[in-house]
Amino acid sequence: MSAIGEFIDYVTTAGNWTGPKGLLRLTVNQLLVSGIAVVVAAAIAVPAGLGFGHVRRGGLAAVSVANIGRALPSFAVLVLAFGVFSQAGRGLSIWPTAIALTLLAIPPMFTNTYTGVRGVDPRIRDAAAGVGMRRSQQLWKVEAPIALPLVMTGIRVSATQVVATATLGAWVGFQCLGTLIFEGFAQQNDGKIITGAVLVSVLTISIEVALSKLERRLSPWATTPSGGPVDEPPDPTLASPFHPGRPA
Amino acid sequence: MDAAIVLNDVTKQFPGSADVAVGHLSLSIATGTITVLVGPSGCGKTTVLRMVNRLVEPTSGQILVEGTDIRSQPVHELRRRLGYVIQQTGLFPHRTVADNIATVPGLLGWDKARTAARVTELAELVGLAPDLLDRYPAALSGGQQQRVGVARALAADPPVLLMDEPYSAVDPIVRHRLQDELLDLQQRLGKTIVLVTHDVDEALRLADRIAVVNVGGRLEQYDTPTNVLRQPASAFVEQFLGAERGLRRMGLLHVADVTPSGGAIVSPTDTPATARSAMAAANMTWVGVVDDGRLLGWVDGGDLNGQATVAEAELRPFTTVVQPATVLREALDVVVTSPMLAAAVIDPDGRYLGMITIDQISDGLR
Repeated sequence: MSAIGEFIDYVTTAGNWTGPKGLLRLTVNQLLVSGIAVVVAAAIAVPAGLGFGHVRRGGLAAVSVANIGRALPSFAVLVLAFGVFSQAGRGLSIWPTAIALTLLAIPPMFTNTYTGVRGVDPRIRDAAAGVGMRRSQQLWKVEAPIALPLVMTGIRVSATQVVATATLGAWVGFQCLGTLIFEGFAQQNDGKIITGAVLVSVLTISIEVALSKLERRLSPWATTPSGGPVDEPPDPTLASPFHPGRPA
Repeated sequence: MDAAIVLNDVTKQFPGSADVAVGHLSLSIATGTITVLVGPSGCGKTTVLRMVNRLVEPTSGQILVEGTDIRSQPVHELRRRLGYVIQQTGLFPHRTVADNIATVPGLLGWDKARTAARVTELAELVGLAPDLLDRYPAALSGGQQQRVGVARALAADPPVLLMDEPYSAVDPIVRHRLQDELLDLQQRLGKTIVLVTHDVDEALRLADRIAVVNVGGRLEQYDTPTNVLRQPASAFVEQFLGAERGLRRMGLLHVADVTPSGGAIVSPTDTPATARSAMAAANMTWVGVVDDGRLLGWVDGGDLNGQATVAEAELRPFTTVVQPATVLREALDVVVTSPMLAAAVIDPDGRYLGMITIDQISDGLR
């Protein structure tokens, strides 16, 4: 039987979907561990990024975090976390995977949030202070909403990365979609391997699409078609800092 | 005229800078006037403005707004009483036009109905079409954005408006229109406006009083535009004002500012002899004919020969006419292009007020 045929065979067998190691359970686990990682990482990275961005300090920290994040091998962190939790007798749990994924998720969120706040046009900061906003109002009413599209991009990048990487959790005994792949290899079951791979891909792409949509809904202004009416006579200064693409 | 804003010996030195940005500046800004701070870039004029709303804290000295030291209240409360309009408007891109205008009412905790009513009122005041209110700033033209910026600054009806290079981002024609709108707005609102610009013509056009600022925030001259043009206080001011000071002044003065001469005037019933002596006295070869306060026209000296009265000579229409409200520069144009090198001054009711020639205009500029 061809690999495709085995795959179709595997997913159409009802018994493969149910039970403690069924596809539904594994998918839920994959999403659960990813959800924990993204939420915890966001709870750490977004406030930190907002804070550092608002005071306009920590540019070096942001760059360093980004670089470390890029250089950090997820797999090494996973094995390390597994080692640490094993010492505590909790090796075979959700936690080593959750911790490793959290560390993976933090850099894109922090860097994007920081960059988003830090990058707010100085004239707009000026206006926010000048109309009489307190410091906290300047952050929450102006800087944070303007940074939101970038923050959401950071979350989206992190989330897709996390969902895809959660697959590795199977290596340290966490029951997730990766389990299908590892077991499939061990059992030389192509249908199982492909099912795992396809489900991971579908999940990742779905998350990407869903968060992209959310991103646009949360910041309608950022997708406003640029270029309003032209002053009579034509006004060459229409290219605002927010829509530099408009031809003068 | 009491002072809305007073600067007492104010100095600002930025950390790490050897030179002061503003040194020992004292300035008193009258309530209900437009004061323009003008000077070359880097002269400290923007720093002066930003010290008033405490975006910059003075190193020393004291600033009073409406008689109170600006440090005697929380900074955000001070700023809500000082409307602030900046270069390229600084509109909040994530808020609709209506929400941008409603910024300060929102901070002050106005209820929805009051805020909405105020937004509508302001949109009308600054000339924004109602359908623009739901758009985001990016969908507006430069001129429209500028109007939103002014509406936002005026939202809570602050007594003072601080404007930092408000028209630097729009093209000259739109700028001209926005300046007219500001003058019109000021006619109705009578705010105390402090405006910073590097554009001399903008300063001359808008200001009740001009403060010419030199590098280091040094106040070179503080006077009305016409006085500054007539008598620059220093070589710096003279150079900064540039060429054609006389013409520029004439752009600010009106026919009413000069004293017209009576001219050679006779009534229709006068004899040619009377007319000739009037012409001789004024050293002219023609004579204006006025009846009951109204200018009927003019008669050439040669046409008077053999007539019994002025009325019998050929009466020619007077085509070079100006009004008291005519800008002097335009009047000069009329005079120099008229065949008689003179223009009649007629008030809006048609009454004859006199003649102006280059001599009168020149006298008016002294």
